[in-house]
Amino acid sequence: MAVEQQEVQVSEAQIAVHWREEEYYYPPAKFIGQANASDPAIRERFREQNFPECFKEYADLLTWDKYWHTTLDTSNPPFWKWFVGGRLNACYNCVDRHLATDRNKPALIWVPEPEAAATEVITYQELYWRINEFAALLRDFCELKTGDRVTFHLPMVPDLPVSMLACARLGVIHSEVFGGFSGAACGERIVDSQSRILVTMDGYYRNGELIDHKSKADEALAVAKKQGFEIDKVLVWRRQPGQYASKSPMVEGRDFFVDEVITDYRRRVVEPVSMPAEAPLFLMYTSGTTGRPKGCQHSTGGYLSYVAGTSKYYQDIHPDDTYWCFADIGWITGHSYIVYGPLALGTTSVMYEGVPTYPDPGRPWRIAERLGVTTFHTAPTTIRMLRKLGPDEPAKYGYHFKHMTTVGEPIEPEVWRWYHKVVGKGEAVIVDTWWQTENGGFLGSTLPAIDPMKPGSCGPGVVGIYPVIYDEKGEVVEAGSGRAGNICIRNPWPGIFQTIWGQPERFVDTYYKKYCRNPESKDWHDWPYFANDGAVLAADGYFRIVGRVDDVVNVAGHRLGTKELESAAITVEEVAEAAAVPVVDELRGRVVEMYVALKPGYVASKEIEAKVAKGIETQIGKIARPKNVWIVADMPKTRSGKIMRRVIAGISNFTDPGDITTLANPEIVASIKEQVQTEKRARGDVPRELTAQEAEEIKAFGKNE
Amino acid sequence: MAMTRHYLIGELSAVLGELQEEVTSPASAPDVARLRREVEAAPPTALGSRATRALELIDRLCRESLDQGDATAFTRLAGIGAELRTFGVCAGMLTDTPPRRRRAGH
Repeated sequence: MAVEQQEVQVSEAQIAVHWREEEYYYPPAKFIGQANASDPAIRERFREQNFPECFKEYADLLTWDKYWHTTLDTSNPPFWKWFVGGRLNACYNCVDRHLATDRNKPALIWVPEPEAAATEVITYQELYWRINEFAALLRDFCELKTGDRVTFHLPMVPDLPVSMLACARLGVIHSEVFGGFSGAACGERIVDSQSRILVTMDGYYRNGELIDHKSKADEALAVAKKQGFEIDKVLVWRRQPGQYASKSPMVEGRDFFVDEVITDYRRRVVEPVSMPAEAPLFLMYTSGTTGRPKGCQHSTGGYLSYVAGTSKYYQDIHPDDTYWCFADIGWITGHSYIVYGPLALGTTSVMYEGVPTYPDPGRPWRIAERLGVTTFHTAPTTIRMLRKLGPDEPAKYGYHFKHMTTVGEPIEPEVWRWYHKVVGKGEAVIVDTWWQTENGGFLGSTLPAIDPMKPGSCGPGVVGIYPVIYDEKGEVVEAGSGRAGNICIRNPWPGIFQTIWGQPERFVDTYYKKYCRNPESKDWHDWPYFANDGAVLAADGYFRIVGRVDDVVNVAGHRLGTKELESAAITVEEVAEAAAVPVVDELRGRVVEMYVALKPGYVASKEIEAKVAKGIETQIGKIARPKNVWIVADMPKTRSGKIMRRVIAGISNFTDPGDITTLANPEIVASIKEQVQTEKRARGDVPRELTAQEAEEIKAFGKNE
Repeated sequence: MAMTRHYLIGELSAVLGELQEEVTSPASAPDVARLRREVEAAPPTALGSRATRALELIDRLCRESLDQGDATAFTRLAGIGAELRTFGVCAGMLTDTPPRRRRAGH
């Protein structure tokens, strides 16, 4: 493959260690003049003394069937309940209530990937009808009722928000699986959520190809069946009604085309079900975990309030904006900031079907120009890609953004500046937001008309969020200390997920156990939320997120991301797999030891060890050079293929590697132990006996992966 | 961070889905399916190595298509490889360095 332009990629470890403080950028007066939040008094309204009642301001953005009697119920921590006693319907808030004044205003503008295909404009009135008809189908044809779960495996088509809002109308809990995932991944989530209905699509466009999507439903159902779970019905939206884009046969009595069945439900109106505020609205599964999938359960009243409030103040969404969040609804960003937040505020939300650079990297800017997009929202990976493939493209188009968002990961200052200067044409404010699937909405960001922007930093906690950085002992890491630690949120907030679906213990263990001061306490102050991300807090109160805390080896104060170390190691041609572990070191606190397994046909040698060490040193820096590189026959792995770093960390530190009964290859542990510890003894490289705390740290290494 | 990693997992899975559509040979199709499942189930920290393996797999498939004289398949596979590489580099999963010279026989 051709080598493209040389570009220095900044690793997470480098971000943590080497990013310097950047200069401020200030919002333009034109933006401030029209902003929803331009008075610094907003911070006063949301200060801790006014918590939790401050969030009434967000809840008041919604229309309630019944007002709540308790803003925050902390009687069963950390299972917080917001706006208890209140009742509302999420679909009513996103659609019905806008009809009186804005029925003919576009709610959604859908841009298909084929550029010659017509853009579809769906008004609030049209959206209302589509939702009602599909809700009637779900209720009467599928016999769904309040509290049931439905899995969607849908791409970026308007039928996805229609399906979501139809469920919300009925009080049915939806669970969207990212359309790009395999059928197997979908099947696992069907089983976990016990969904009786799967809603899918025949096909969709990606990179100019019409992808056969329905075939994944067959795979999903086969996986579910293998686990003893069967689906009642599969509803298939057709991208072109009447034309079937899949080769997968429809199964009689199980599979149904929505465009055929829905004819029986035309012009049917379904009254929105008035739901308790704390009723679940949807599940959002996080991927990449081993074992049982993790379904984050989000509430109706708290979640919707939070995304409406943050959309208003941080996305600065106005009803007359054309807002484009260039993400996929299959992720929480799309749920919160394509569907629920923007529609709750009655704005126009743009959806795009395909990949950002099809047919060329000018595509997003042509869409922005054609639709008059005012507000743009995307992820650093997409920004890097657009910059790499078409650095001069934005200047060719006559769009003008007033506001732009970057979401999900730290953005390098150099890329931030391109986004600001070239994409935003120096006119737009940028909010660099930090949050997670579990959080519902933003946790860290600047207020766009009030706070100056600082490339590479997300800013302070958003209003009503009181973040803190703790070290491993639970001591506060002070602002301006330059030290990284674990970012936590001291208080509950309305958008926080309620639990992990069906796994309440895992919910408590993963997010609250680490820094809980008293498990018996009913006081929220004793239950900080552990975000599992590392961060540095500058003297100005701006946070810089530096990656997951369980991925870090701290060498002489330098936080080195294990991912980056391993990525650097596998750039060596001979290396198939790599795992970095910390070893206790008297001088530097911790040093890195790297374990690598070679590709078939290669033989271990000192030369390969040296190449691995050199590769890491070149890509990350001298500080990251591993103390030892161990070439092993295989890595200890779980049955799902996860490398058990704690086991090899235990071997390197001469501590107990812990339970190995769940490994797929437990026999390899003795072999590695013999190899590594014999060599270390011969070199006089045996670490001193670890303290209890050190031993605990080594034992816990990688446990959250 | 975690949110982005889930997004990266999804995008990598989607590219491997494109590859699955392209690869029909009984010898190679299971390799693609297996790697896609690994991507979806593996810890996000392992994405870089999975992306590298995906590129190697595409490389192998390209060579097979050339051996069979199937220029259409080669072009499409190379396109998917280019897409994956660009995405991987921009996502920080891969480094943007020249490919290393392969050993004879590889």
